Amino acid sequence: MYVYLGIDVGSVSTNLVATGEDGTIKHSIYMRTSGKPIEVVQKGLKLMHLALPPGTKVAGVGTTGSGRHLAGVMTGADVVKNEITTHAIAASNVVPGVQTILEIGGQDSKIIILRNGVVSDFAMNTVCAAGTGSFLDQQASRLNLDIEDFGPQALQSKVPVQIAGRCAVFAESDMIHKQQMGYNIPDILAGLCEALVRNYMNNVGKGKEILAPVVFQGGVAANAGMKWAFEKALEIEVIVPPYFNVMGALGAAMLARESTNRRKTGFRGFQVADSDFCSGGFACDGCPNICEVVEIQEGGRVIARWGDRCGRWSNALANEEKIS
Amino acid sequence: MSIKVGIPRALLYYYYHPQWVTFFRRLGVETVVSRETTRGLLDKGLKSTVDEACLPVKLAVGHVLDLRDRVDYIFLPRIVSTARKEYICPKFLGFPDMVRHTINNLPPIIDCNFNLYHKGSSPADFYFQVGKFFTRNPAKIIMAYNASKAALEKHNLDMQSECLPVRQEHAADGVGNCNGINIAVIGHPYVIYDNYISMNMVKRLRDSGARVLTADHLPESVVREEAFRLPKKMFWTINQRMVGAAYHYFGREDVHGLIHVASFGCGTDSFTGELIERCARCGSHKPMLSLTVDEHTGEAGMVTRLEAFMDMVRWRRNLADAAATL
Repeated sequence: MYVYLGIDVGSVSTNLVATGEDGTIKHSIYMRTSGKPIEVVQKGLKLMHLALPPGTKVAGVGTTGSGRHLAGVMTGADVVKNEITTHAIAASNVVPGVQTILEIGGQDSKIIILRNGVVSDFAMNTVCAAGTGSFLDQQASRLNLDIEDFGPQALQSKVPVQIAGRCAVFAESDMIHKQQMGYNIPDILAGLCEALVRNYMNNVGKGKEILAPVVFQGGVAANAGMKWAFEKALEIEVIVPPYFNVMGALGAAMLARESTNRRKTGFRGFQVADSDFCSGGFACDGCPNICEVVEIQEGGRVIARWGDRCGRWSNALANEEKIS
Repeated sequence: MSIKVGIPRALLYYYYHPQWVTFFRRLGVETVVSRETTRGLLDKGLKSTVDEACLPVKLAVGHVLDLRDRVDYIFLPRIVSTARKEYICPKFLGFPDMVRHTINNLPPIIDCNFNLYHKGSSPADFYFQVGKFFTRNPAKIIMAYNASKAALEKHNLDMQSECLPVRQEHAADGVGNCNGINIAVIGHPYVIYDNYISMNMVKRLRDSGARVLTADHLPESVVREEAFRLPKKMFWTINQRMVGAAYHYFGREDVHGLIHVASFGCGTDSFTGELIERCARCGSHKPMLSLTVDEHTGEAGMVTRLEAFMDMVRWRRNLADAAATL
């Protein structure tokens, strides 16, 4: 059996997907990145290797997410693609005819507008991270609530409380205030969901023409409260696809299939899970920019460098980070 | 040893540097331009400026600090207006004073007024005032002024043939597999031409195979005519240029996408961006991307957005090509 691997290394979660040649998902893994992208990618590869039937061959690898370059270097990826493109590709394959994609991840949120199967517009949150998964995570832990219980609890609300969602910091103080006033938790949680949706629509969704079918994906789509709040605000049915939390990885796997196209893959094999990778950094003192150069080593050998503005170090390895 | 005048590589330097440099050279004055922006230089500027100032002003303060100890004068013209009944951002107007009151041990500042707001005003008045710092001979000033005017005209013509200021590269240079994708980059000259602040945006776009067009590649008459479509005259010259250029590029068949670059804290960018975006939504179906630059050094966000934007532009173009052959 041949499979295509997609790896999405995000700020909060790292996901791996193996798809068959027909694009169906054979296995998917969702893990927390916990600030250790290298270890998590290795662990994910190990788990994937165990989960796939023996004798499975990897015919292509694609990486995406904010750690895509790192994962790409480690695995020898055939394609390294930004998360907007991979999300769009995955959604348009899973839900044919999709016109709007709402994606809320750990530290970013984006909206992708498709028309006739092609991305026609997109937006990502700018300098503000209000309304992303990290904030919900943090609030849930502050309320001593498992993030998994967040959605079901919010759905029990009868009268959602109005919460100022413009800024995550002020939303928190507003929530504390509402708690002290004696509102119950489900109402506050539902109010929080509504506030985040409001913020999302004002920031990211500003001026965008949102047409059905609407797909909601990314880790936050697990939260039924957010789905409810989106449906209430948009007055459109919101579809949460079955593999909503690994859509980026799925898109990367689909792109890998397209880009290898029966050519040989650059995949370095599952044994990279046991290689000794280490990342280090140093401050280049070549000019007052003092770039923090990141160096990835495998068994003591430097395999990639990035982070320098002038290319002094990355060019030395002829591994320049380019936009493609 | 000749007198040295320092010119910060910031703000309207990007429009007027050939004129300024030529003028001083003709007066026998040496010019020193501050070094290109680096993190160290920006940090110094950030620390010395009031927090309310916008990013370009903070950066300009950094450039003044870079010049402070190695020149005899610092040239900070008080640019009020560069065209009749139009203004430049008020922060430019107050910039010499802001610098004077926040930085110690400054050499003398040349902060003559450059104001063309009123009828009958001429740039010559400004250059006369500046010239008087260095010579008493009016004929010498007139000659220097005429030479500087010619230099500016040549620069403007160069720009219209798609050069970029300072680096003097041609827009088509360095494009690898140029498959005819043209991207208009609309933003303040001191943001998009500064490699550090814009995080090498122009180079990144070129590396990915795009030809980059900016507002300055258009003759002023075209820009003004397009900006005339606004219901009310935009009286900020630079923003008028941005809006006019955006409208022009939206209407052009051969331009495949537009990137609006705003700097954090810029008041006029907030509504210029909105005006351009509205045009993108109603009058045109071209892809448009809005980027905001700030003090952050992480390039990942910028790279991701540019990558996705280029993917989108290519994808849509291929689809349009396919539709045309059907």
